[in-house]
Amino acid sequence: MDEKKWSPTMNRREFLRVLGAGIALTATGGLLEACTTPAQPAAMSKPTGKLSVYSALNETTNNEFVKAFQAAYPGVTVELLPLAAAGELQTRIRTEKNSPKCDVFVGGSSEFHDPLGKEGLLEAYKSPNAAALDAQFKEASGLWTGWYIGVFSFLYNTDRYAKEMANVKKPTTWDDLLDPVWKGKLAYPDPIKTGGGYIFIATQVFRFNKDEDKAMEFMKKLHANIGQYTGTSPQAIQLVGQGQFVGAVNWAHDILTAKSQGNPIDLVVPENTGFEVGGVSIVKGGPNTTAAKAFVDWVLTKEAGELNVKLSNRGSVRTDVPPAPGAPTLDKVKLVQYDRQWATDNKDRLLKKWQATVGV
Amino acid sequence: MRSILREPSVVVTLSVLVGLMLLFIIYPQVQVVLVPGFKGYVEFLSEGMWLIPLQNSFLTMLLSTTTAVTLGFIYAYAMVYSKMPWKPFFRLIGILPLLSPPFVVAASYILLFGPRGIISYYVFGQTPNILGLGGLWGVQTIAFFPFAYQLIADVLARSDARMEQAARNLGASYWDVFRTITLPMARPGLAAAILTTAIYILEDFGNPALIAGRFTVLPTQAYGLISGFGDVVGAAVVSTILLLIALSMYLTKLRLEGRQSFVTISGKSSSIPHPPVPRVLNMACFVACLILAGLVLMVYGVLLVSALVEAFPANWTFTTKHFAYLGANSLSLRNTFVYGGIAASVCALYAMVLGFLVQRHEWPGRRIVDFIAIMPAAVPGIFFGIGYATAFNYRWLDWLDRGTLIMISMIFWNIPVGFQAAVAGLQQIDRSLDEAATSLGASTLRGFRDILFPLLGSSLLTGFVTAFVRAVTTLSVIIFLFTPGTTVATITIFQLVNDFNWGGATAFTVSVIGMAVVVVVSVWIISGRRAGLQKT
Repeated sequence: MDEKKWSPTMNRREFLRVLGAGIALTATGGLLEACTTPAQPAAMSKPTGKLSVYSALNETTNNEFVKAFQAAYPGVTVELLPLAAAGELQTRIRTEKNSPKCDVFVGGSSEFHDPLGKEGLLEAYKSPNAAALDAQFKEASGLWTGWYIGVFSFLYNTDRYAKEMANVKKPTTWDDLLDPVWKGKLAYPDPIKTGGGYIFIATQVFRFNKDEDKAMEFMKKLHANIGQYTGTSPQAIQLVGQGQFVGAVNWAHDILTAKSQGNPIDLVVPENTGFEVGGVSIVKGGPNTTAAKAFVDWVLTKEAGELNVKLSNRGSVRTDVPPAPGAPTLDKVKLVQYDRQWATDNKDRLLKKWQATVGV
Repeated sequence: MRSILREPSVVVTLSVLVGLMLLFIIYPQVQVVLVPGFKGYVEFLSEGMWLIPLQNSFLTMLLSTTTAVTLGFIYAYAMVYSKMPWKPFFRLIGILPLLSPPFVVAASYILLFGPRGIISYYVFGQTPNILGLGGLWGVQTIAFFPFAYQLIADVLARSDARMEQAARNLGASYWDVFRTITLPMARPGLAAAILTTAIYILEDFGNPALIAGRFTVLPTQAYGLISGFGDVVGAAVVSTILLLIALSMYLTKLRLEGRQSFVTISGKSSSIPHPPVPRVLNMACFVACLILAGLVLMVYGVLLVSALVEAFPANWTFTTKHFAYLGANSLSLRNTFVYGGIAASVCALYAMVLGFLVQRHEWPGRRIVDFIAIMPAAVPGIFFGIGYATAFNYRWLDWLDRGTLIMISMIFWNIPVGFQAAVAGLQQIDRSLDEAATSLGASTLRGFRDILFPLLGSSLLTGFVTAFVRAVTTLSVIIFLFTPGTTVATITIFQLVNDFNWGGATAFTVSVIGMAVVVVVSVWIISGRRAGLQKT
């Protein structure tokens, strides 16, 4: 990464120059956009200047992404702020609304982009490259666009599984986890503190056709097998990797990434599972909205999709991008009817119900 | 007590110091408190999800503060009074637990003592469940005893040995001397230690996040609301609850303290050593410190080994490849030490002068400023950062360099320990000392500079060291402030942890800790050579 370009300070002259360039670009940006054709979105508008990207993607993906984008748009210098925590980035964009510092917010489940759009902090943009996408992957007015998916799955420690549970079948349904053989051997991201933990509960509710009592009954039985609720989602993977516990529920892409770092773990995708849609959105009033649009266009290309699949093990929303080896795809796994809006609206109520049910 | 309001230079100094605190502590915090709005408070509070975390927070605070302060007192006593060997080594061990970047050091405890821990399972064949209240209690005891140790050691080292000598000569037993002289004289340090440690434990996020498991405390709930659900409103309410608890603790401390005198340094200088400690006690001190040192070294040893093998604990093949991240992230490493060093120096001086003005003089609003100086300890770092990001992010402020803002946040976030050290130190020094100077014609500030400042060397050092290690290892404050050019080491560590790159994360952590230790030890050596600074 070129650190010289990441100058922490900007002198006055430079600032005015960038400001001038920004104004000029914003002025011409609208014009250029008008004559952009869907087939070649990038060819006409060659944006320039600095582009500030807030990225919730993982570290390896960030570096390669910046390189590839700058190769496609040589006039743009990307300043990427890496923070693999979408909730913090969302909060940051909110606190910066008086003087937005960010052009593009990339990565993180759409649940983190959607509220920003509702609060009027995002710029609606319908990328021509998103035209073919299924409606469930994008916000109708273009406030955010989905470009990858993450599937909620199960992981187990291969060493301990081979030694202690060789004759137990690997879970193919969530109900398989209720087998007493798992007693005390499971880790689970605390739903009060982690988004993933809550998505798992919501998934159960949808699995039982919104019969909440059945879902809670399931969570209560599962509780008996859970050895530990973890404070963060990655920690559950870490603990299983160390062999402290034998299995855990978590994101498929994170499981594959941890596996590639040398952890003795493997992945199973039980049927009727939940998933997230990873989003990209443009911050309203950011320093370089023209380049931001180019970035959104680029993120939705086949090239970027393939790069992301390769580096982060996530699945692309594009049907022409094959999944990572071992990774689940939306058409291969059986997913629940996940009603995202309902899950968000009923979060506090469901979590309280869960607390009362399992008695914690 | 004389009024200082007659001296213009003092009035100006005081106004500037207080003004800066209003700007950089109160104003950003008000932004956070206002976030939820009345409706937000009513809704969140009536939901009641905060009740269990509140109970849990109180319980951990009670348990961990008791053990951490007790351990800190024993450690301080051993360091100041006993004649045990290896004191320089133990002095380093006494600050090492402060050097714990979030998400890494706590994880080391699980590797050692978890259900398949190296010690618990592979040595003793036990499968304990340390994730929960018990584990948290133990880890917090180790993590926070350094605050108590430093504040108490400061006070013990300065306490006048002549009274103890006299009592011994008059035939009092060692235990009687300890009970009737040593302990009462240590009270200002103990009070400061209990208050500071309790508030820091209350605000602790890093340890409960990894060790407490399902046992949710207020800071982990607040963090979870933001991180997992983007719920800033609920999180801000939790932060306000924490502030109120801190305020009530401060008021309790004022009540208990009353108006007592803790003066032990009077006009006449004393170079009498403390009376000799019985041999048995020397041995006991040495063994206790050795056990603690063994534990601390084991925790950091796991990190070192993790940094030097392929994939700990699965693959023990030696490698240096994880240290390649140092080169790739040299910018964050450099920023960490530049920001930390500058912030800690300013912070220590600031806290010292402020402590002097608050402890030595009467002026309107003194108690309020006294509380404001302890308040940052009660604000979870994440809200300190959110407050700054909201308060200082306006278009007309865009010229403000982010590195400077980060340093300012570190200065004001870390004031409490330096301030408490200064106040506790001043409580021991007889007013007649500086009053003699002022009645001979010196200005108040001159009296402070020439008389008190040299006597307070160790308090200043405590302030610097604590502020430095906290600045170097903080993540939560900076998350909302850093930019690509002003990134710091903890951000890099956080990224590596989230990439499941345990080797890279530990290599980076070990390097940061190693460099910080070099800085702290150098400061100790340099200050030790200067006359007037007392050794603890």
